[in-house]
Amino acid sequence: MMRKKTCVAMLLAGGQGSRLGILTKRVAKPAVPYGGKYRIIDFPLSNCTNSGIDTVGVLTQYQPLELNAYIGSGAPWDLDLTNGGVFVLPPYQKGKVGEWYRGTANAIYQNMAFIEQYHPDYVLILSGDHIYKMDYNAMLQHHIRHGADATIAVREVPWEEAPRFGIMNTDSDDNIIEFEEKPKKPKSNKASMGVYIFTWEKLRKYLTEDEADKSSSNDFGKNIIPKMLAEKQVLVSYSFDGYWKDVGTIESLWEANMDLLTTPMPIDLHDKKWRIFARNPGYAPHYVAVGATVHDSLVTEGTEIYGHVEHSVIFSGVTIEEGAKVTDAVIMPGVTIRRGAVVRRAIVAEDAIVGAGSIVGEETGNIAVVGYEVELPAGVSVAAGQQVDESVTFG
Amino acid sequence: MKDVMGVIYTGENDARLRELTMTRAIAALPVAGRYRVIDFLVSAMVNARMRNVGVIMQKNYHSLMDHLGSGKEWDLHGKNDGLYLLPPFLTRENVGVYNGVLDALRSNTNYLTRSRQEYVVFSGSNFIYNARFSDFIRYHLDSGAEITLMYTKNPSVRREEAGTYLNVAEDGRVTDVEKDPTEPANEATFMEVLIMRRDLMRQIVDKAVAHGYHDLIRDLLIPMVLTGQARINAWEYKGPVWLIDSVQAFFRFNMDVLNTETRRALFPEDLPVFTKVRDEMPARYGDAGQCINSLVADGCIIEGTVENSVLFRGVRIAPDAHIKNCIIMQDGQVHSGAYIENCILDKQAVIKRNARLIGPDAYPIVIAKNVVI
Repeated sequence: MMRKKTCVAMLLAGGQGSRLGILTKRVAKPAVPYGGKYRIIDFPLSNCTNSGIDTVGVLTQYQPLELNAYIGSGAPWDLDLTNGGVFVLPPYQKGKVGEWYRGTANAIYQNMAFIEQYHPDYVLILSGDHIYKMDYNAMLQHHIRHGADATIAVREVPWEEAPRFGIMNTDSDDNIIEFEEKPKKPKSNKASMGVYIFTWEKLRKYLTEDEADKSSSNDFGKNIIPKMLAEKQVLVSYSFDGYWKDVGTIESLWEANMDLLTTPMPIDLHDKKWRIFARNPGYAPHYVAVGATVHDSLVTEGTEIYGHVEHSVIFSGVTIEEGAKVTDAVIMPGVTIRRGAVVRRAIVAEDAIVGAGSIVGEETGNIAVVGYEVELPAGVSVAAGQQVDESVTFG
Repeated sequence: MKDVMGVIYTGENDARLRELTMTRAIAALPVAGRYRVIDFLVSAMVNARMRNVGVIMQKNYHSLMDHLGSGKEWDLHGKNDGLYLLPPFLTRENVGVYNGVLDALRSNTNYLTRSRQEYVVFSGSNFIYNARFSDFIRYHLDSGAEITLMYTKNPSVRREEAGTYLNVAEDGRVTDVEKDPTEPANEATFMEVLIMRRDLMRQIVDKAVAHGYHDLIRDLLIPMVLTGQARINAWEYKGPVWLIDSVQAFFRFNMDVLNTETRRALFPEDLPVFTKVRDEMPARYGDAGQCINSLVADGCIIEGTVENSVLFRGVRIAPDAHIKNCIIMQDGQVHSGAYIENCILDKQAVIKRNARLIGPDAYPIVIAKNVVI
């Protein structure tokens, strides 16, 4: 028998992230690189470690290979433990039944046996879609203090954006009195962050009932929460006012990277008390050559810069050759930007090569994307908003 | 090479490294922006799939222990074998201070006896290089020699009245050994790393104890070569190598790594160098700074001017600060308006506003750990 855990985290990492276009063709959204040396999933995993939550199930199903390899034993996040740690949980055959995860609630339902091993009092539900630093333990204490059955993390969004979110209407004591999914006329601007804490006994009951309901789409936001509310369970909101960014689209992923270049950084990644851990590729420090210029940028280890970098985020193992100009761009691991190439307002994905003198992106307009391992020939142009994968040919 | 273990001796004389080795062994000296000297050796051993590495420690070994930890960063934290930290200990025969390599080995005969590998690579720790140890081991196994020494012909590691020099015949046999000569007659410098069978090493250590020998080279190797009682070969390492035995040598090594060709030779893609991870964010450049010909580690914030320098993790160069030909270790700070040239700042050293500090070309100024100027 496993030793008891107060709280077990379940991280929903199965989303395809189709709005990220060619960036998620080969990897699941949580494995998408961000911020020069991280992947999106580093944020919820590091938050768990920093919050003292040491048992995390990561539910995968879409393109899990890279994500599984990235998580490995969990050592980078100190989650390689004898009792607890991080576990990748793909869908599996149970008796004669084998099925994919049908919805967020169904994914947790299918892994109830995993949770039960630890006899937790509480279960924390997370997603791998956001960049934020949050103390889940503070949220758990809030949950306990309120004697809640479920606590939903909320943040205030601009009123005009509220119709895009699941909105919580609360009383003065943080009790949720109404939940509206994407309301046309919102009564509040408190949007759900997709971070939930449930008292495990209650959640187990609702998951089991939900599974039996054939009309349910087995989703937390659409089914579980409304049902709990209808049955007068204690649902409270937990307000979070720190940096929180959905990186679900090409534009928002690019913006979230650019956010790190403003002063002060809206999300402090220097914070020694709340480090964001990541798997480290083990390169030498980066090198900036004579004749190179680097301004307003993030640059990480294993990279060599001979050209010009302005207002960009440069990942590990990148080479920017002489005369190349990189501006307002996100250059992911292992990329080579050849001599004289110009990259602006663009994302260049892992191991791609931008040929000499090529032009990627434009000074205005949508973000251009060069996909994984694409070798862009010399002297070609990629227009604003264009996504280039291996199927694109240049004549 | 599962059947080869490594033993690294870290008790070298460090007087000429002055303040830099006041609180640490040479093996623990920070180099090249994010490494310690010993990282290169341990990584090279691990890259040759050696799974059992012992590190004999002498004095000031706290930072070395802190750095190596459980060996996790080198994947040396297995259930079988792994990384063994061997600090000195007191017994009736052992007073804790090793009088040379043989003494240190004698104190650790238990470790040697308990290990299961057939061969042992024994090494000092003040040379930096990234050898393909699998080639060295293969050469030894194929040559039939009882002991194989590694050497380099690189003249930059030759020293007056220090070091061991070999005469190596065409067939790889060592025919002469000189120790600490005023002017070495031979062009091959022994890199203080050798391989032999583990049981032979046990015999050698026992023999040394029985005869009161202290000096591995002078008391054992030289007589073996001269009498021909054992076949001793040598294998040439042709890559870049540095001997870190003085402040100047330390400075030179760091500056040499700024050269792209040298850096590529020291960090080949298939021989990665592992080190302790600190989980710093990428380095951040401001809008006005300028950085040229420099190595910059993660966690740095660069808003001033940086020329020909090596910056370790978490270094901050303020706006209008200017550094040239400097090595700035972890968490060092240079404040606004300061100008420093030819300086080595040890960890957490701070140069305050408008300070000027210019060291002579041949003799960089060392600012000790935690000092504020």
